[in-house]
Amino acid sequence: MGTQRLDFADFYREAKNECLFAVLVSVGDRDTAQDLVDEAFARAWASWRTVSRHPAPAAWVVRTALNTSISRWRRRRREVPVPDLALVADRPAADGGADSSVDPRIMAALLRLPARQRQVVALRLFLDLDTAGTAEVLGIAPGTVQAHLGRAMAALRGDLIPTRQEESQ
Amino acid sequence: MNDDELITILRDQRDKVPMNTPVEQIISRGRAVRARRRVPVVAGALGAAAAVAFAVSAAPPASHPVSGPRAQLAAWTVARQADGSIRVTIRELRDPAGLQRTLRADDVPASVTFTDRRNPACHDYLGGGSQSQPRSLLSSVATPSAGGRDAMVIHPSALPSGAGLQIDALFQHYPGPRGSLQVGVGLVQASPQCTGS
Repeated sequence: MGTQRLDFADFYREAKNECLFAVLVSVGDRDTAQDLVDEAFARAWASWRTVSRHPAPAAWVVRTALNTSISRWRRRRREVPVPDLALVADRPAADGGADSSVDPRIMAALLRLPARQRQVVALRLFLDLDTAGTAEVLGIAPGTVQAHLGRAMAALRGDLIPTRQEESQ
Repeated sequence: MNDDELITILRDQRDKVPMNTPVEQIISRGRAVRARRRVPVVAGALGAAAAVAFAVSAAPPASHPVSGPRAQLAAWTVARQADGSIRVTIRELRDPAGLQRTLRADDVPASVTFTDRRNPACHDYLGGGSQSQPRSLLSSVATPSAGGRDAMVIHPSALPSGAGLQIDALFQHYPGPRGSLQVGVGLVQASPQCTGS
C-alpha cells in the first residue's frame, strides 16, 4: 500500500460522514447524496496530489459533489421536473436512510431552508469552514455568507424550538 | 435555546448518517475517473502468456516513419512520423525508464510508469488554474492510433508551454488467465523532477 493511498484513506475515514451529511442536507435524498459523495471522493483520489494540498479537502469534496449534482440535473432537466425540497423533506427517504438515526424533524427543518442557506449551513456548521472559506467555496461574498447563515439560524430556531418545547412538556 | 445550543443539536446529527462505502470501492471508482480523463489507448484482451510472445515478435509501425523507428525494442516502439508526430506502441510492461528516455530525446517531456503509482513529483497540469484538466487540450496532444489498438500518437507541437505527459500502463487482470494492457496518458506540469525539463 503506497503513501498516497494511506493519506487518502485517512482523509476518507475522517471526512466521509460529515461530507455525506453536508451533501445530504443540500440535495435532500440519501441515495443521491451517497452516490454524489462516492463520485466526489473518487475524483479526490484521482487528483489526490492536488486535493491533498487544498486548504479544505472536505470542502473540495462537497463542492465537487454539488457541482456533479448540478451537472446531472442539467442533463435531466428536460425529462424530469426538479423536486420541491420542501416536499422532499417530508418524505421518509429524507431522514437519512434506513441505517440512519438522524432526527427526522431536524432534517425536515434543514431541507425547508432555501438551497443557498442549506449550502451555507452545510459548509459552516457541518464542515466547520470559517466564513471566508465558505465564501470562497460558494463563490459569494463573506457578508452574504453571514446573511444566509443568520437567516438560516433564525428559520431553524423558529422551526425547532416549538418542537423541543413540546417534547419537554 | 440560543445559537450555540442550536448549533450543537445540528452538529450532533452529522455522524448519525454513516457513509458505508469501503475505501477500496472509492479507490476503484477513482481509477475509473482517471481512466476517463486519459486518452484511452487500450490494447485488446491478451493472455498473460501472449504478452511474452509479443515481446519477441515486435512488428514495425504500420505507418511509414521518416527515418525508420527511432527505437524498436520488444516491449515498446517509438517512431517519429512525417508530420512530426510520434507514434508510441506499448506491447509489454518492461523498461519504462528506457521509454521515458527515448521520448525525452524526441523532445517530449514525459514521465513513464508501468504501475498504478505515478512519479510523486508529477502534478496535474491545470491549464491556467482551473480545477480540472482541459480534456480537449489533452485530446489534441495525444490520440489513439488509427492503425493499431495498442498504439497512440503524440503531437509534441500541441503541448502547451509548461506541460508534459504522464504515460502509465497497467496489465488489467480479468478473472482467469486473460487480461488487457491498459495504457493511459495525462497532462502534467513539466518539471525537471517529473518530465525531465
